[in-house]
Amino acid sequence: MRNCSIAVQRYLPHEHAEPFWQHFTVPFDESTSILDALNYIKEELDPSLSFRWSCRMAICGSCGVMVNGIPKLGCKDFLRNYLPRNYLASESTAAVSAAEIRIQPLAHFTVERDLIVDMNEFLVHLEAVKPYLITDAGADETPLEKHAQTLAQTNKQTPAQLAKYKQFANCINCGLCYSACPQFGLNPEFVGPAAIALAQRYNLDSRDQGKAARMPVLNGHNGVWSCTFVGFCSDVCPKHVDPAAAVNQGKVESAKSMLIQMFTGRG
Amino acid sequence: MSYKPELTGSWWLKHRFFMLYMLREATVLPLVFLLCSLLAGIYSLASPEQFASWQAFMARPWVLALHGLALVAALYHAFTFFQLFPRVMPIRIGARLLPPALMVAVQWAAVLAVIVLFLWLFGNSQGAI
Amino acid sequence: MKTHAKLPSTAKSSRWHGLHLEPIWWSLFSAGGVCFAVFVPAVVLVFAILAPLGFITLDYSQIVSWYADIWGLLFTGAVICLPAFHAAHRIRHGLHDLQIGGGLLSVVICYGAAALLSVAALYGWWQLSG
Repeated sequence: MRNCSIAVQRYLPHEHAEPFWQHFTVPFDESTSILDALNYIKEELDPSLSFRWSCRMAICGSCGVMVNGIPKLGCKDFLRNYLPRNYLASESTAAVSAAEIRIQPLAHFTVERDLIVDMNEFLVHLEAVKPYLITDAGADETPLEKHAQTLAQTNKQTPAQLAKYKQFANCINCGLCYSACPQFGLNPEFVGPAAIALAQRYNLDSRDQGKAARMPVLNGHNGVWSCTFVGFCSDVCPKHVDPAAAVNQGKVESAKSMLIQMFTGRG
Repeated sequence: MSYKPELTGSWWLKHRFFMLYMLREATVLPLVFLLCSLLAGIYSLASPEQFASWQAFMARPWVLALHGLALVAALYHAFTFFQLFPRVMPIRIGARLLPPALMVAVQWAAVLAVIVLFLWLFGNSQGAI
Repeated sequence: MKTHAKLPSTAKSSRWHGLHLEPIWWSLFSAGGVCFAVFVPAVVLVFAILAPLGFITLDYSQIVSWYADIWGLLFTGAVICLPAFHAAHRIRHGLHDLQIGGGLLSVVICYGAAALLSVAALYGWWQLSG
């Protein structure tokens, strides 16, 4: 097995007031992910290292870190991506420290310890856009009538109706897009890429009637209008959601919504 | 206890993607110069003498250089803008999406058509082209 | 089973509540972006590069007769006014990106300058056509 140099930005608030860099040498092969490397460090080199992870298959969205300054899912990114192509094949061990991989906590979030950030800063925005199906049907009916109605009609949808929002439904709430977004970095009040993509996902769902409840959040200065289409959010998204497209489609929707409100008094 | 790294005004120098973004935003700077030149051109239409002096201004090397930059900027802006369009306004026919590459190609065809139109309108007055 | 929340009442929200001018700036920016990409390359090429270099000889009377017509108004709108608002929008957000502005003062200065440039260009056309 080859060795690879990895630097991890540590933060241990009870020992040091400032974050610091710690350097490790980690054995690796073709299949070693960034998450594997972190687990190796924790098990073999320094058990005090803290980081989040769970599924190891890019669906739980908890292992996001900055790798060489770019937001990545630790489980979906591999050490081999950061080393010269011929490095694994070569017999020489001289190139061990040729390239050091730098791992940092997700940018634009408050860091609580090592690679652990406060995801609440993203989750409050996610909650604000009501990312779930909202129906106003059967509000005045008895629970049993309402249940019968729901069973009868809620989940019927044609492939064409599904196609409208399917891409935006792939979001796993990992927060990489918030670390990629300079507008969120400059203004933490910005609702941000994933939350707006999910708002758009439910607004486009034929079963949903909650658009009027979501639009006030998107219409605000900190809603869709804080975006300048940098587009890096879509570049780093591990599930190819294209949140930048969702936010900018949201601008068209927000403009329509405000125009309708101006003439009718309701959004 | 926690810390939060703050963004500084030079955040966009840290990554190639952000530098290209800033370059895209900066394409409007030579555009502003062009708009001022064209405004002067409109007012110079008041008399043939003023028009001639406007043409002399347009032929100065530094003005030509800035306008050359404006052309490059306009083309780079077009390159980025045309890619954004199918993402902001996707066109669906039933369940199928109109291919983004086709939408980009149509927009470049429009640029070429306008250039040909302008050359046809103004280029052949003296038979120079 | 999905959660079904009740819609909040919209009755108390007034017609003007929460409205702002961003959709207008963004619409002008988008329209100006299309014009910048589609019309400006041809205009720069013909009037600012080929003509000054002598590859094309501009005919004063032909241009005046064109410009004084409705074509001049369309040219002014598509090549000067809309791109001016496009530029103003990007400069305003650029000031915010560089952390040297982007607030109300930037809004007033950027869009105000674009409006002034537009009015000056439209007045120029109106004088010639009138």
